[in-house]
Amino acid sequence: MLRKVSIALICMAHSAMADQAIVGRFLDEHALPAFDQLDRSAANLAEVSATHCDGQSPELLAAYGQAFDAWVGVSHIRVGPSEEEDRAFALAFWPDTKGFTAKSLNALIKAADPVVYEPEGFASISIAARGFYALEFLLFDAGLQDAETATYRCDLVRAIAHEIHQNAAAIKWGWQGYQDVLRVPSADGPYKDDTEALREVFKALHTGLQFTSDARLGRPLGTFERPRPRRAEAWRSERSARHVQLALVASYELALMLAADEPLITQSLQAAYDRTIELVEQIDDPAFAGVADPSGRFRVEVLRQAVDRIREIVTLELAPALGVTAGFNSLDGD
Amino acid sequence: METTRRSFLAGLLAASACPTPSWADVGSPAFLSAARQRDGAFALFGLAADGAHLFEIPLPARGHAAAAHPYQPIAVAFARRPGTFAVVIDCSTGHEIKRLLAPAGRHFYGHGVFSGDGALLFTTENDFEQAEGRIGVWDVARGYQRVAEFSSGGVGPHDIKLMPDGQSLVIANGGIETHPDSGRTKLNIPTMQPNLSYVSLEGMVLDQVGHGAARRLASIRHLAVRGDGQVAIGCQWQGSLADEPLVYTHNRGADLTAVPLPQQSVDFGGYIGSIAYAADGQMIAATSPRGNVVLLHDLRTAVSSVVSQADVSGVAAAQDGLVLTTGEGLLLKGTGAGLSTVAAADVQWDNHLVALNT
Repeated sequence: MLRKVSIALICMAHSAMADQAIVGRFLDEHALPAFDQLDRSAANLAEVSATHCDGQSPELLAAYGQAFDAWVGVSHIRVGPSEEEDRAFALAFWPDTKGFTAKSLNALIKAADPVVYEPEGFASISIAARGFYALEFLLFDAGLQDAETATYRCDLVRAIAHEIHQNAAAIKWGWQGYQDVLRVPSADGPYKDDTEALREVFKALHTGLQFTSDARLGRPLGTFERPRPRRAEAWRSERSARHVQLALVASYELALMLAADEPLITQSLQAAYDRTIELVEQIDDPAFAGVADPSGRFRVEVLRQAVDRIREIVTLELAPALGVTAGFNSLDGD
Repeated sequence: METTRRSFLAGLLAASACPTPSWADVGSPAFLSAARQRDGAFALFGLAADGAHLFEIPLPARGHAAAAHPYQPIAVAFARRPGTFAVVIDCSTGHEIKRLLAPAGRHFYGHGVFSGDGALLFTTENDFEQAEGRIGVWDVARGYQRVAEFSSGGVGPHDIKLMPDGQSLVIANGGIETHPDSGRTKLNIPTMQPNLSYVSLEGMVLDQVGHGAARRLASIRHLAVRGDGQVAIGCQWQGSLADEPLVYTHNRGADLTAVPLPQQSVDFGGYIGSIAYAADGQMIAATSPRGNVVLLHDLRTAVSSVVSQADVSGVAAAQDGLVLTTGEGLLLKGTGAGLSTVAAADVQWDNHLVALNT
């Protein structure tokens, strides 16, 4: 009886109008500007690569860094245009548990494969040889830096940068139409009502945090007996901790939008995010190389626990308040 | 030699109705199901056809599916993935006979099956460093000693069933790579390739079938097998919302056949929880706890219908059709006409309901 009453109260507290307002803010103040930023920085990367394709070029590295930053800022929004035509997979093939990126790039270079001169053909080669993580490998892997020939490597850099921009642009334009699918749910659309649209937005927050904890932090941590620093994300360019920080900042913004009508939950989220971001900023170990020694490891473990504390608030407090709690089996009982 | 003789004797004892415990001694349960109880503890339940609780045995953590021994009242309850234990339970005493631990570098996926003579138990496992699916083989007569393992024929094996010939197994290789360091996070969605594999009891791959490129993200996860060898398959979609089919049938040597959907739009939330044939083999039921619906497909008329039911997941054949369970504690009877509540319990029934042929 009590349970039924409290559920009814929650439903009343969170009206369809409030759901719609959150979805609108998610689009206008979070997703759409971030995809714009990705498109702009990817355009710049492609442009810079036309004149600077040497892996040592400060101009190229700066453009690469900015565009990669922009990707991390949208990496949790895995819906609609990002998922069409494997665009997000092509932008971000990571984790790469079987070393496909190294294999694919080496094969291209070894054969001096002319596919790099055909934009359409290049867009259909293995996703492992495309996108930000392939570019990172190409620019920073010690074994590839001297691979012959410099001219071909240069052309490969340009081909990857160009294709990153094509995908970023396609996602951005895709959102021009897809935003209405979320904004105006309809009985025969993918989201039947405002709650389903809100659930999709919540999912971006939830799965983004899971990915940061499990993949960005869990993979390098491995186990105490077997730490895996070489499994850290983008460790070659020493961007691992930076990605955690950028992902948390984007996640924080989204969490506060979702919790806007819940002052108490907002407070707990602020405390948890502030602490976590402070922890990641204090880590003086950009590639998480220190997970292999006890004190370095401890800092990354504490950071992961802090991320998991945020996840706890999101699952146990925010989801019920928004009315998007999943059932025992529907919450992946598999 | 010893193994053979002992398992032969065990079979003989059971067949000749000697006082060796049988399923009848525990009230001839019709079903097994794991559940979360009101206090948050987990247990395995033996259920009568009317939903009565015949026994209730505590589990150390959240369960998933169970494997029932063909004639002894023994059930193996598997931890939900990526668990590393399975509990062998004597349902006549409620005692744990043995705890199976996955070997180093392996974890269980929550499913397993006995051989037809009850001598061997097969478990789906992950070799997570190689990211390869394995099938563990455990010898019942030797106290569930692990005696062999072989490839599952793919990545991320989930459900496994014995084929009616008793000589082969069918395995749902979901295609998804996970590693315990990163929990349940899926590591290879961009490259995943699920398949359905038929293997001999010794692990020889007899037949394999997968999806075309467009359906590559439909992870093949749960299986039901009909007496004539037709297999019904429930999938989980790993992309954003799409209309690709999630329920299929398969006959060895043929392609996967998508089960048609009813005219009205159906939302499975990309997720089929369990699948079963009705007792007469003429109906397939596929549950979707995310869509809160059950798909009922009549194989005689090729007509499908959908029934709404909150958090429905467990489904199994019953004497006169189908029985279903929900995360809200309901046990329901399913017929072509719809669902009707048989019993309500103060527990959350977990993902799978296992039918016993006792």
